[in-house]
Amino acid sequence: MNQRTIIIQRNVQADQKADTAAARERLGRRGTLVVNLLSSPGAGKTTLLQATARHFAGRRSMAVLVGDLETDRDAQRLAPLVPVAQLTTGGACHLELPLVQRGLNALGDPVVDFLFIENVGNLVCPASHDLGEHLRVVLISTTEGDDKPGKYPKMFRTSQAMVISKLDLLPHVPFSVDAVTEDALRIQPELEVLTNCALDGTGIARWCEFLEQQHQQRLAMYHEPEGNR
Amino acid sequence: MHERSLVQNLLHQVEQIVVEQGGGQVAEIYVQLGDLSGVEPLLFQMAFDDMAPAVFSAGCQLTLEVVPVTAICSECDHQFEIVDFQFRCPACQAGSVQVIQGDEVKLISVTIDSNHSVEGVSS
Repeated sequence: MNQRTIIIQRNVQADQKADTAAARERLGRRGTLVVNLLSSPGAGKTTLLQATARHFAGRRSMAVLVGDLETDRDAQRLAPLVPVAQLTTGGACHLELPLVQRGLNALGDPVVDFLFIENVGNLVCPASHDLGEHLRVVLISTTEGDDKPGKYPKMFRTSQAMVISKLDLLPHVPFSVDAVTEDALRIQPELEVLTNCALDGTGIARWCEFLEQQHQQRLAMYHEPEGNR
Repeated sequence: MHERSLVQNLLHQVEQIVVEQGGGQVAEIYVQLGDLSGVEPLLFQMAFDDMAPAVFSAGCQLTLEVVPVTAICSECDHQFEIVDFQFRCPACQAGSVQVIQGDEVKLISVTIDSNHSVEGVSS
């Protein structure tokens, strides 16, 4: 027997990591903040994006890539407001970078201030897939229960902001904003927490202000001279 | 997570390593799974047992080591293990901590039996 052990010490997903880093840099350099929006099905991602599009109309440009297993229902809702491409995964439970790139090409690779990627409704698998975003936002609605962060920790750990939606239903459901916030901050102490009701517009101005701040902060590194980076 | 596609990716990478090393039969593939990688060790092992024999000869062993999540505090540089997804620094209570180990699937080493010539690489 002549056995040799070759030491590798390499991330099995190193190639994908390099691809997502390159995508992030390409869009960041041209001033597009990429936002990966995640939640359970029905938490209100599309409704939030409709409200966001109305708020930004005429002031900030945005485009949306929306992922679902089947149908273009979400794209139809957003199409009157913003450029949108539906990404149907044909059963897959999350989006991956090649799908995002296909969607961008379908839109003609537009130069916009914000590119929102509405992920497939799922608090599990999308957490493990970097789409080249600059900002990851997890949405949780008041009807889902305030115990979710601890049950789906990776989703909350990998997000930079949590938006609590359907605030108008708060009087009718056993949901504590304080409890869900405490649970999420235990996992991600730096998480920004926002609340809103996209249907009546509560909290939308604050959400959009937060997005503007993030645009400035997270893309600043791409404007600096080469030597400072 | 998606154990089968990860295993497929892994097998492909090991195939390339064997070619670079001049061939031989793969005896052992040693992989570390981070607790935060989102990969279930049992499902990863089952996917490997199912898929590896078609690529390498039977008898190729997968050694899996599950590694805990380790973080370092951005404020006081304290290094600590994450337990129950508590990401606050136990030393100074700061919330800004960086994960330095345990969030990836890592190929640590490949053991090749050179006596078995190039037949080890079958595809």
